[in-house]
Amino acid sequence: MKQFSYVITDPVGIHARPAGMLVKAAKALDSTITIEKTGGKSATATKLMAVMGLGIKQGDEVTVTIDGGNEEANLQTMEQFFQDHL
Amino acid sequence: MKDKIFGVLQRVGRSFMLPIALLPVAGLLLGIGSSFTNQTMLETYNLTGFIYEGGILYTILDIMNQCGSAVFNNLALLFAMGVAIGMAKKEKEVAALSGAIAYLVMNTAISAMITARGGVEAMAPNSTASTLGITTLQMGVFGGIVVGLGVAALHNKFYKIQLPQVLSFFGGTRFVPIVSTAVFVVVGILMFFLWPIVQTGIAMLGNLVIHSGYVGTWIYGILERALIPFGLHHVFYMPFWQTAVGGTAVIDGVTIQGAQNIFFAELASRATEVFSVSATRFMAGKFPFMIFGLPGAALAMYRAANPEKRKIAGGLLISAALTAMLTGITEPLEFTFLFVAPAMYAVHCVYAGLSYMLMHIFNVGVGMTFSGGIIDLTLFGILQGNAKTHWIWVVLVGLVYFCLYYLTFYFMIVKMDLKTPGREADDEETKLFTRSDFKAKTGVGPDGAASASVSDPVSALILKGLGGKANLSDVDCCATRLRVTVIDPNKVSDALLKQSGASGVIHKGNGVQAVYGPQVAVIKSNLVDFMETPESDHLDNLAAAPAPAPAAAAPSKEAPSKDTILSAPMNGQVIPIAEVQDEVFATCVLGEGIAIEPSEGKLYAPADGVIDNVFDTKHAIGILTEDGVEILLHIGINTVQLNGAHFELHVEKEQQVKKGDLLISFDQDAIRAAGYLCTTPMIVCNTDDYQSITPIAQGGIQAGTPLLEVKG
Repeated sequence: MKQFSYVITDPVGIHARPAGMLVKAAKALDSTITIEKTGGKSATATKLMAVMGLGIKQGDEVTVTIDGGNEEANLQTMEQFFQDHL
Repeated sequence: MKDKIFGVLQRVGRSFMLPIALLPVAGLLLGIGSSFTNQTMLETYNLTGFIYEGGILYTILDIMNQCGSAVFNNLALLFAMGVAIGMAKKEKEVAALSGAIAYLVMNTAISAMITARGGVEAMAPNSTASTLGITTLQMGVFGGIVVGLGVAALHNKFYKIQLPQVLSFFGGTRFVPIVSTAVFVVVGILMFFLWPIVQTGIAMLGNLVIHSGYVGTWIYGILERALIPFGLHHVFYMPFWQTAVGGTAVIDGVTIQGAQNIFFAELASRATEVFSVSATRFMAGKFPFMIFGLPGAALAMYRAANPEKRKIAGGLLISAALTAMLTGITEPLEFTFLFVAPAMYAVHCVYAGLSYMLMHIFNVGVGMTFSGGIIDLTLFGILQGNAKTHWIWVVLVGLVYFCLYYLTFYFMIVKMDLKTPGREADDEETKLFTRSDFKAKTGVGPDGAASASVSDPVSALILKGLGGKANLSDVDCCATRLRVTVIDPNKVSDALLKQSGASGVIHKGNGVQAVYGPQVAVIKSNLVDFMETPESDHLDNLAAAPAPAPAAAAPSKEAPSKDTILSAPMNGQVIPIAEVQDEVFATCVLGEGIAIEPSEGKLYAPADGVIDNVFDTKHAIGILTEDGVEILLHIGINTVQLNGAHFELHVEKEQQVKKGDLLISFDQDAIRAAGYLCTTPMIVCNTDDYQSITPIAQGGIQAGTPLLEVKG
């Protein structure tokens, strides 16, 4: 299990479009990926409604957990995704 | 012109129903209270040991007596408010407030004029009265009705008025009480000069009525019955019951006008020895034909029914006859023969007139709250004692009437082969069937029908029968009928209305009345609720394909396949998801679905479910349907950047919603002006759980129409 933290810079937070892209990216990977809003709830990254339900906004810190599969490579992919899109 | 007058009179008549509906309760208080505080009666029934002046029971009864009187004494105010409510087209509560204030203002203005012109002594005798503590002209309920009509006219004209910016606080509905107050100050002053002329006219008319004697009573009775089919009887009898047309009397030193007012004032008074027949002649005649005559007619129809249909006709007739006997609501029974046998109704009118006349001749002094059932006879006849009311004649004449109605009607039905219930040709049998079907449905209630594609099939049927929502100008009801003003009477379908349970439909110009019986109040409320839902906008689609829709929806509850159909969440144009101007939606990253370019800024629930997600930015919403479909509705493209502006959210997270509930309203013009598209995708987020998600509609669409088929 691997984790990283990230502070959201996207001005609208994780809303429909970024959430959709995140779900798509997460689905492509062979690990179970979980997003937890620091001090808030957590959600499986492949569940669109759940991800959007976290209500993550700009400036919020999230912890992303990667479990099973090729954790090392998937961690890098996810980190890259967050930096590019969120 | 004639049709227009009918339409207005019809609305005035039904606006009386709200205050009139209060009378039975007030009458009950007054009847019980006055009966058991009456010394003669207490002595007759040896109750003086329990009920005596100063005792607790006596005080309670006296309170009931006086509180009941309070309603009758302030009927004019109730009419001012009730008529304003009935005649106002929208924002009725504002009309009620305005009616009350205008009534007070008008009477106060009159009062000030009386003082300025030398006080009560300078006025004609019996022309003044004390209303709500204000010394004013004796106007009776007419005063209230004048105020109600005037305020409603002002209200309908001004309730949407826009005032200049600085005064805008006083615009819209707030302007209505303001303008009403101003106008009725002037009306009050004018009334001081004009009303005495009207009073003279009424007095002359009343004089004429009194001298018309027994024949006058007979004509009154015939007319009152003959107006029932047109629904104008309330407008007809009201002047007799409530104004000097029906007589004037001085009771306990107070001048009382109107037959019903006189009766109830005598009831409340301890000094009454015999009730004035000059007043009850306008009421007592109802008892014999309602309690005895019409049930006789029902028996005749039952006996004349074909043996194999007797049981079903009997059920219908017994409930209608019992309603007439107990409460004096006769329309369910009268309408069973009015439409199929007008000749029988004509005979009924003549007999009813005679009943009034006989009660007059035999000095029967029994009054009533609003009709002549056993309840009223007991309270205001039997309990008051035969010495005061001569109620025994009601029973004697009634027994004769029972035989008379039975024999006449039986003879007419058989000789003229009239198609009363149970005698229809075989192919017409459906009428009774749909009626009982309808009753079963109303038993389930409006929510019980939610599993069908139409949430309220009865209301849908009624609305379709009336020519659709766009054809309705306004909807109301009285004791037994739905009263509607339509724009195009040709669009009304009697057949559909009868299928929905109406026993008869009456047309008069733009006025349509469908007779449903006493449960009409519920039917009307359901219809009005139904008209708020988007389903009511596209009846044709629903009515044309009612069969497949429930079939598709019904198995979804138990069947494992979880097939389901999502309805369009808004009115507009269907757009394939691939053509949405947003890559994320168009490429189905979020899931498959469909989009709508809205024509109206309203988003409705596409299925029953629970609100899964709402966003601070109010432009999107997530719903988990009962069948497990996760739906994302996203209004506009990139509209997250508006940060909530131009959107209004009507639900909250975790809230249960029904298909067609309003979720979000938005200002589409403002959104487009801000440079955003309003295209609204509806996405199935858990697309992976399903085999196929297929649009089943294209082009223009109305909210509530089936749009997206989801197959498990």
